[in-house]
Amino acid sequence: MPSSVPADTPHAAARTRSGATPRRSRFSLLGSELKVLFGRRRTWALLLALAAIPVLIAVAVRLSSGVAPGRGPAFLDRITQNGLFVAFTAMLVSVPLFMPLAVGVVAGDTIAGEANLGTLRYLLVAPAGRVRLLLVKYAGALAFCVVAPLTVGLAGAAIGAALFPVGPVTLLSGGVVQPPEAFVRILMIAAYLAVSLAGLSVIGLFLSTLTVVPVGAMAATVVAAVVSEVLDQLPQLEWLHPWLFSHYWLGFADMLRQPVLWDSFGSNALLQAGYVAVFGALAYGRFLSKDILS
Amino acid sequence: MGSNGTGSSERLQRGNTFSGRAWLRWLPAVAAPAVIAAGVLAGSIPASAGDPLPARTPAQVLELLASHQVHSFSGTIEQSSDLGLPELPAAGKTAGPSPAGGAASVIELLTGDHAARVYVDGKDNARVQVVDQLAERDVVHHGNDVWFYSSKDNSAAHLTLPAHTREHARPDAPQDKPGMPTPGDLANRLLAKVDPTTAVSVGPDVAVAGRPAYNLILEPRTDATLVGKVAIAVDGHNGLPLSVQVTARGADKPAFRSGFTSLSLEAPDASLFTFTPPPGSTVKELQVPENSHLPASFHEPGLAITPEELMAQMAAKGRLSVTGKSWDAVVGLPAQASPGSPAESLLRDPLLSQAAVAVPGGHLLSTALLNVLITDDGRVFAGLVPPERLQAAAAAAQ
Repeated sequence: MPSSVPADTPHAAARTRSGATPRRSRFSLLGSELKVLFGRRRTWALLLALAAIPVLIAVAVRLSSGVAPGRGPAFLDRITQNGLFVAFTAMLVSVPLFMPLAVGVVAGDTIAGEANLGTLRYLLVAPAGRVRLLLVKYAGALAFCVVAPLTVGLAGAAIGAALFPVGPVTLLSGGVVQPPEAFVRILMIAAYLAVSLAGLSVIGLFLSTLTVVPVGAMAATVVAAVVSEVLDQLPQLEWLHPWLFSHYWLGFADMLRQPVLWDSFGSNALLQAGYVAVFGALAYGRFLSKDILS
Repeated sequence: MGSNGTGSSERLQRGNTFSGRAWLRWLPAVAAPAVIAAGVLAGSIPASAGDPLPARTPAQVLELLASHQVHSFSGTIEQSSDLGLPELPAAGKTAGPSPAGGAASVIELLTGDHAARVYVDGKDNARVQVVDQLAERDVVHHGNDVWFYSSKDNSAAHLTLPAHTREHARPDAPQDKPGMPTPGDLANRLLAKVDPTTAVSVGPDVAVAGRPAYNLILEPRTDATLVGKVAIAVDGHNGLPLSVQVTARGADKPAFRSGFTSLSLEAPDASLFTFTPPPGSTVKELQVPENSHLPASFHEPGLAITPEELMAQMAAKGRLSVTGKSWDAVVGLPAQASPGSPAESLLRDPLLSQAAVAVPGGHLLSTALLNVLITDDGRVFAGLVPPERLQAAAAAAQ
């Protein structure tokens, strides 16, 4: 940190993102943010809870007498034939609630958590600048959005391989891919889900700037996700559906087609980018104009 | 976090600027939605094609359509229909596809919204992938083999086409046969034939899948049908039909719409047309029915036969009774004792029996474009006509 002192004129951080000089300090700020985030027991508890989903599914299927084709969530009936399907099933099951829950906790905590602990003003007393702090906080939330689906996918593949045979994976189109390629598909789905959660986490970031009570921001973020998903189910609101940030969440199955259907990935990325722009700007407006007392 | 001496003075300075120009901080929050709205608006305006298409008469557009030489392409087709059927939970998106086979799956495909990827290479290779949420249904045609696959229950079905069926299915038959009328002749003949019942015109050019297209509009000249307008978009450069929209009489939005949202004229990858049933799937061998109900010429491209001829041929087979002509025709199916009769299978289907309403003399399945009457004695009447005409036809046939 001290190495950046000469560059940090009072307005440097607020004025520009592209200045070359504050880069090192920004990265060290990001590094310390990631260290704090992933050093937290709460973060580990969240990731462990997510990793427990595939384990529960795999153990339940292992202990039961098998699933009839076409019953239960998609892919569930394939698990006994191929353990890698545990990863797909677990990611499918965790998308509607568990992942938004985990992301809501992390994103809602970003600013409000620091304010609640009384550390926010110390962060700003350091020559960090509010914009940079906001960016770093969001980057931390995004890092969690990347790690959370990866955790589910990798834990699913691992427990599936441990309890069931692993072989060529049948894609939705009826084609078959070998396990290494199937593993790539798992990573692609994790990437899809990481992008999907970017919108939710920026909403959490904005809500987090509104309050000093982190639990309130967390709950509000999760509620936003649930409301979006409920609205997405109402046929009367069809015109609204493409604008809901949860609209493409279940579209990750397009990564399991042959050839891969990238349309939904693109639409999803564009939609999430729109949410990042709107709620990022709102968070910027709120965070830069509010009085920070704690 | 390290701290240093400039911190507090920074805070003071910033505090001042904040109070003075706080509204500036909210500028991005206003600008971002505005930019997005502008982008959406700009995107929704159809891109004007560089060169407007040369004006053509309906006959010329039909000729273009009939003579198109596009046999290899891949694209995405989206279909949406708003037929006025009640919104049934089973038809919802989350329910996924119904298992292959049965009237319900056909109805399910025709109603609701669907997207499909289509790959065609020549006359022997085709693949259709109906993209469902978390599932997919595939039809793969390669040479004499046709495979059906549904990912929902991991089931596959195989059909071996007899050689003669393939002959009829050739999409480019008219060009191959010497002595056949030219597409231009066909177009003129067809126009002359349909003219008493249908007004054919060319509307303003449209853009479908980013391609400029002629908009061929067919309007029934009778009031006795539910169909108000059929619009077919014909690619302005190569004559490929790009979209079909059917609008009910009096409606301003199409009740049924199907068309390309993206189209590439390159030959698709050959590996797409090979299909081996995946491990663990159930495979069913299907038999080609001995006597296909459809007349042979049904497989010819649309210009070779008019609906009237098709009706006449089907009526000649003795299975169907047809009253009325062209748009207001009513097709009747006699009652059958066998358990697989159409009336019974229609009524036994839970989705359809929910949608059917009881009317004097039977049950009516009513949609914006098509009405189907199932009489109490097992006869079926269908037509693009109001229900009263079906009931009249049922009464007259008794």
